Amino acid sequence: MKHNGLFRRATPEPIETDRLADFSYLDPGVVYLDSACQSLRPQPVLDALTEYYTSYNACGGRVKYAWGRRVDDEVAAARQGVLGLLGLSGRHYAVSFTLNTTFGLNLLLQQLPQGRYARVVTSHVEHNSVFLPTMTAAKRLGVPRLVLDRAADGALVYEPAQLERAIVVVNAASNIDGRLLTNLAELVRDAHARGGIVILDAAQSMAHERALLQKTDADAICFSAHKMYSASLGVIVARRELLSSLELSFIGGGMVADVREDSYDLLPNDPGALLEPGLQAWAEIIALRHATDWLGTVRPGGRPPAEHVSALSERLFDGLSDIPGLTMVNAAASPVISVYAPKQDSHRLAVFLSQSGIAARSGYFCAHHYLKERLGLPPLLRFSLGLHSTTADVDRAHDALARLMKGLS
Amino acid sequence: MFCIAAFIVLLFMAAVSARYRRYLAKAASCTFRRVTFRPCDTTFKQDLKDHMLAPLAARRPGLVGPASVALEVVAFLVVLTTIWSGYVVVESAANLYVYGTCNKQDSASCSLGAEACSIPDQTPTFGDSIAAWDIVGAFGNDFVRLGETFSAIPSRMQNWDAKEYLPANATYLNEFDAQKPTALEVIDPGCTYCLQLFENLEEAGFANKQNLSYIAFPIPAPTGYKFPNSLLVTQYLEALRLNPLADAKTPVDWEILKRIYTEKDAAGVSWQSVINSADAVEATALLQDWAAEFGLSQAQVDTVASVAGSDKVAGIIAANKQTVKERIHTVKIPTIIFDGRRHDGLVSVGDLD
Repeated sequence: MKHNGLFRRATPEPIETDRLADFSYLDPGVVYLDSACQSLRPQPVLDALTEYYTSYNACGGRVKYAWGRRVDDEVAAARQGVLGLLGLSGRHYAVSFTLNTTFGLNLLLQQLPQGRYARVVTSHVEHNSVFLPTMTAAKRLGVPRLVLDRAADGALVYEPAQLERAIVVVNAASNIDGRLLTNLAELVRDAHARGGIVILDAAQSMAHERALLQKTDADAICFSAHKMYSASLGVIVARRELLSSLELSFIGGGMVADVREDSYDLLPNDPGALLEPGLQAWAEIIALRHATDWLGTVRPGGRPPAEHVSALSERLFDGLSDIPGLTMVNAAASPVISVYAPKQDSHRLAVFLSQSGIAARSGYFCAHHYLKERLGLPPLLRFSLGLHSTTADVDRAHDALARLMKGLS
Repeated sequence: MFCIAAFIVLLFMAAVSARYRRYLAKAASCTFRRVTFRPCDTTFKQDLKDHMLAPLAARRPGLVGPASVALEVVAFLVVLTTIWSGYVVVESAANLYVYGTCNKQDSASCSLGAEACSIPDQTPTFGDSIAAWDIVGAFGNDFVRLGETFSAIPSRMQNWDAKEYLPANATYLNEFDAQKPTALEVIDPGCTYCLQLFENLEEAGFANKQNLSYIAFPIPAPTGYKFPNSLLVTQYLEALRLNPLADAKTPVDWEILKRIYTEKDAAGVSWQSVINSADAVEATALLQDWAAEFGLSQAQVDTVASVAGSDKVAGIIAANKQTVKERIHTVKIPTIIFDGRRHDGLVSVGDLD
């Protein structure tokens, strides 16, 4: 057992992994550790994109020729694949596609009905994709906005009364230190009991922490396909009741059954389409279908993906913890690990690491309020792992940073 | 300072490669903030430094600290030298316009102006002052020189009339004709470019179109004169002007100048070279022989020799010197004023036509 302040962790089992064949295209000189921004795409996803563009490059939706019908089938399969990953039923939830998580959250928050909700609740440890739209939503709805703390284990710290007719918008996993919303089930139950809803930012949890979201009762889950091995795409999984309650202001083609001079009929029995005005990113949606398939079958080192990433996370966390001069932001290992060196600029470290082929992120990661205002921290250095990562990658990153820190001190 | 240095460097790099233009805009913004006494965009500065230091960090991270300091020093020097270069360019351009040379202190060293013998500036150069640890003097003298140059700009733009600068006892190469305009050249009898100008004047038939007169100006040197016998010749020329030979078709002073500039001795050496390399006794003898040859009696030659060394001639030479330095403002010999302009240095036959 190793001790690190208040947190006690078990020493991980040593592992050795080779690069997954689906990422064999990756330049061996590069160690990509920015999967929290976007993951690398496995070969089947790239092949799916290429196949769409070269074999059946058609629009979906009300197209009668063969290519279009194939697109419709693929899109339907993509929606089903997303529900399958989350263990949710299509009877209660619908899947919509959009640009990214931020856009998805905005589509929901800016179209929620007036008068139904009494407050907007979020937490300090949020990405700007949550933090900012909750400000504008509260203002639009004319309700107060409550910003709550998150415990060290990621649980939202709240009193049940604070959830009275509340719109709760929080992340399921932090993009800073990967801490999880460990009291998700309790939160959803308490919110629902008081007429509230829970909307989740699942951008950082869909790839490697999906277990937390399985069969959730949350009202909406927004995430980015490009953080879970697919092409750039936003996904909204929302309860049908929530979708049908929206006061739509963002509207256009693909959503309507009929249009008259001063009125229109929305598509019946297709609530997912309510958030999909205009032409969709067909290739990206099809790629998502293949990404969900891939995620369901891939076994790096013969283990489930989450286990693989968890083992690498432990290795990286331990290694970074041992480097003198570094301060860990994470309380525990996670696929997203942030650190800073009080005497060194993180941006400089990122540039220097890049020279050694290590692609790590520096800055505030769109969490300015929490890191800068609340904690008063300097810009951080973030390493985020993916299924393409190997033990050699982790060791190279550790060695490069350790050497830098020693030389710069 | 680093931002400003980056802007300067990127300015040149962006001119030859589009790759650097996006950085140039950032550097320009940063520089604007610095020169308006606001903090620079530290992100840009840091980015730039970090990218420059990254290769070193990958090999010898321990050297990043000293290299970072060295970069700051280099940036400071780049800015300093750029400011100084800009100053020199402005000063040189102003000098070129006003004096016809980019280097006022040593006009012959500037290849941009017409060829000429320079009238040296007696004040110490910037380098001399720095070498003598006279920092204040180094900058002070330079700024004074620049001030003089700028203050002389209006005179450069004026309509030059040679008659305004004629000495009181002026003589003309050809007989004075009131119908012709007047031209005035400032010459040193020992200067080779004055010889070449005289040849050009003759080839262009200049004296037939203009009433050509001169001011003899022996160019000073730190010790004495640039051409040792120039003062002696000038004294004789002024003495001959004070004692003109009656009925001479060409004034004797002009005859002597013509001999110096256009004729050679028996050995084929130009008389200008002979005079320049002769000692004072030999030069005096030559001048007196020539005066006699051009029609002066022995008594008249003796009178001229006596007057040449008089205070009166010394006063005339001093007055002419003052005219050249303070009114004509030239630093190049020869200088010739005609057609409303002042021409510094050697003028080609074509320009004299």
